[in-house]
Amino acid sequence: MPIVLEQLSHLYRSGPSTTTALEDINLTIEDGELLALIGHTGSGKSTLAQHLNGLLQPSAGRVLLDGQDINQQGAHRRALRFQVGLVFQYPEHQLFEETVYKDIAFGPKNMGLEAEEMDRRVRSAMELVGLPFDEMQGRSPFELSGGQMRRVALAGVLAMQPRVLVLDEPTAGLDPSARDYLLGDIQRLNDQGTTVVLISHAMDEVARLATRVAVLERGRLVMEGPTTDIFTQQERLNAMGLDIPESYKLARRLNEAGLDLHGHYAMDELADQIAQAIKGGGGDAA
Amino acid sequence: MLRDITLGQYYPVDSVVHRLDPRAKIVLAFMYIIAVFMVPSLWLYLPVLAYLVLATWLSKLPARMMLRSLRPMRIILIITFILNLFFASGTTPLLRLGRVTIWQEGLMNALVFTFRLVFLVTGSSILTLTTSPVTLTDGLERLASPLKVIKFPAHEMAMMMTIALRFIPTLVEEADKIMKAQTARGADFESGNLMARARAMIPLLVPLFISAFRRAGDLAMAMEARCYRGGEGRTRLNKLQFRTRDLLALLTMLALYLVILLPGWLW
Repeated sequence: MPIVLEQLSHLYRSGPSTTTALEDINLTIEDGELLALIGHTGSGKSTLAQHLNGLLQPSAGRVLLDGQDINQQGAHRRALRFQVGLVFQYPEHQLFEETVYKDIAFGPKNMGLEAEEMDRRVRSAMELVGLPFDEMQGRSPFELSGGQMRRVALAGVLAMQPRVLVLDEPTAGLDPSARDYLLGDIQRLNDQGTTVVLISHAMDEVARLATRVAVLERGRLVMEGPTTDIFTQQERLNAMGLDIPESYKLARRLNEAGLDLHGHYAMDELADQIAQAIKGGGGDAA
Repeated sequence: MLRDITLGQYYPVDSVVHRLDPRAKIVLAFMYIIAVFMVPSLWLYLPVLAYLVLATWLSKLPARMMLRSLRPMRIILIITFILNLFFASGTTPLLRLGRVTIWQEGLMNALVFTFRLVFLVTGSSILTLTTSPVTLTDGLERLASPLKVIKFPAHEMAMMMTIALRFIPTLVEEADKIMKAQTARGADFESGNLMARARAMIPLLVPLFISAFRRAGDLAMAMEARCYRGGEGRTRLNKLQFRTRDLLALLTMLALYLVILLPGWLW
């Protein structure tokens, strides 16, 4: 079920002036991939995310899901929103129910599911994000810690069992351990077959998770390709005000220093490669 | 959807009227409103219209903008006109429609009342269009400060107004965001009967209130951290100054009063 964006443009009107938020975006999101969307603040990432499940209407162009234009006359947008789950920035700000259980069940309830199926989904969503069901289900979401609240909000979207999950800055404002936990959740979901679109400012997260990266600048899609190809173009990214992951910086300096590293430079792979290169080098010296 | 709400809309250009002292503008607006109510006959709306056109021109406001301020009023205007047209009786019949008679006095009345509303709304909107909310509350505070003698909390009222105005766009944005987030979870804000719709607002209103309280707490903390402790002994960066042009503006209003009232005194 790929999502295809065809010459997508979006204009914001505010009074007499219009701002172009997105301009002529062509992008295909493949099944099962983990695509990261990066770009400077105001580059149109969040606007793009909202187009993926029809929350915004394109000013021009189309959004195709399974080959169907999601904005055409008679398109069942509500049914579509259940297939593409969108987790907004600071999703814990949308919690409103008395108990964790009820809040997570809000989406499934809107889908019109049977009580039994709803219960099953709430349980599995809570399990997915690591919230112990018996302990947490009856508590008020407002007495939880920030990291737990965010996991409840994420579970609220996961309980709808979307086939595509769009996350807008999911780790913003979390402490390192909560962040690490959440990234693990996202990785696990993707491994289980959910397509993930990750919007992030944190390049290290992108390097750790994404298989492909798309770069937006001032509403235009300027770069797109496998993670390694994008992050090895440091000068271009820097010119856009974007940084590259620490591991890529290190790899670059080691390569300049004469070490022969190649391939994927996410932290774990890099460590292996360095170990190998050093062993190889050590062997020569001996 | 919520972005369309306009409240105390400020039109930021540089003009003579924009630069007037807010106190002068508030007084002018009050005097203008009284003047509109004192107009004794239909023809004497002409000088009011002239004054309004002059003020609009001096403020560099597009005429379109002024007319737009009437849009939300259109139903009230139509009702006012119809009620006065049909339910007034007089001596000179103008038109008979079956059992209903339209009198000349009725028509005159209908026109006077409708114009009164039109002039009230367009005229007073000049005040908010040419004065930024912060300047406006500043002016109100200064105008109300003599009342401090009778323990009227002028500064606190002004500060509360400034904060409320400042946070309207923030809350609108927030509401928009929460609405989208809940829509993405399948919430439906647009269909169903009144009860269903009211119930559908809960997922919007609860997070909105929580966020408003959180913001209020944060703001109070930030103000205290900068040693805010009320209006006592507080100085200002931009002191209001009553200049010659403010006096001249008030004089133009007196001239309008003369034009409106003089015919009544003379004849």
